[in-house]
Amino acid sequence: MSNINGKVYALNVITPMKPWKTWILRTAFFVLDHVKPLQNDLINLSFIEFARWVIIPRDAFPFLGNGQRPEELKYNYLLFFSNFNGTWNQYIDAFSAVLSKGLNLIWRWSEKFPGSVPVTPFKQYIAQVQFDTDYYYTAYPHATANDLKSAHIVQNSFSRLSTFAAQSTPQQFAEAYLQFVLQVQAHLGETGEAPQVG
Amino acid sequence: MPNQNGSLYGLTILSPIIDDENATPSHDLQIRDYLAQLSTREDSPFAMAPGTHLARLVVMDDVIYVGMPSCEEHLKSKYLVFESNCDGDLDTYLGGLADAIPTHLDGIWGHCVGYPKQGAADRQAFIHYMKACQLETTFYFAAVNDKSVPATLKALQIQTAVADFIASHQGADPATLQREFIDFAAHLRAQPAPPPGSLGPHRTIETGGHNE
Repeated sequence: MSNINGKVYALNVITPMKPWKTWILRTAFFVLDHVKPLQNDLINLSFIEFARWVIIPRDAFPFLGNGQRPEELKYNYLLFFSNFNGTWNQYIDAFSAVLSKGLNLIWRWSEKFPGSVPVTPFKQYIAQVQFDTDYYYTAYPHATANDLKSAHIVQNSFSRLSTFAAQSTPQQFAEAYLQFVLQVQAHLGETGEAPQVG
Repeated sequence: MPNQNGSLYGLTILSPIIDDENATPSHDLQIRDYLAQLSTREDSPFAMAPGTHLARLVVMDDVIYVGMPSCEEHLKSKYLVFESNCDGDLDTYLGGLADAIPTHLDGIWGHCVGYPKQGAADRQAFIHYMKACQLETTFYFAAVNDKSVPATLKALQIQTAVADFIASHQGADPATLQREFIDFAAHLRAQPAPPPGSLGPHRTIETGGHNE
């Protein structure tokens, strides 16, 4: 079992939903997907590298024959997979504090969802419906979501300065270099070992 | 398309695990045992195959009962969940896995119902099997959705090198600064990007409970 690799935590959650409620949730996701400003809180939280919700209708669990027994379920299921930076408690706290309306819109269709505020019953619910990761891989375990965004900003500025360096005088270059440092200085935070937890 | 966000693909696969009462240990335990032996570093199978940003494998034993008044129900199979955040086109990605790490794929998915008899060596059959187990992602979020794995690793390499260069060139005169920057940029461009999975801390403890 390994929910953590470097600076990312793998969260897996599954919750049951009455089938008729699934369509409301699908509509909510459709709107969220197409009205980008609604994703601003999710983006601004800035510690989620990747996240997804997957609705599995009760008759849509993969069935391959070969002796597999078909599922006979009353509920549809909502799967949530998140790859986030920080600890479980920080993540759930931030979700509850910043995204409470959005989370309620997504999970209120799941059975027994208590609401994302107050945070204590919300945490109890997530802990109840979470299951652990057996194997977790990341190509860049030392980097957070903010490190990734910063690295691309630095790379873009660096490429521009590299081009300019070859065609400028030392004085012109020194001025451009100073501007470059001003542009990237907030994006040079050191990556490295994650804090020990657990 | 909900499976895709920019150039990133959110692959979700649920493969039913063989339920054989004569198997000892059971197939789900054999998968867990195999996964527990796998490296999560640069010698990870997913580092050796192209295109994986982050991926997880999870044995899902059952659905979770949340209490009255909801109904208690159970799955008839256990499922192996594969959640991958990968570059681009699905066929290319799955084909890349089959080409690069067929033994590992067989070691893991060989315990699942309907896995091709020839294993991942039969590339087309493997791709067909994985697609048969695929679920459509309903909503997919990616913080950075337009960079490949090599581009991301290169950017992280440049970020670190630039920080070091700036720190070591404070107060340098313009001519020296320009000359050394040009050398530095050429050197950095020529350097290969670090291998995937390689830059993390070497840790002996990689566990993490529910809510630490």
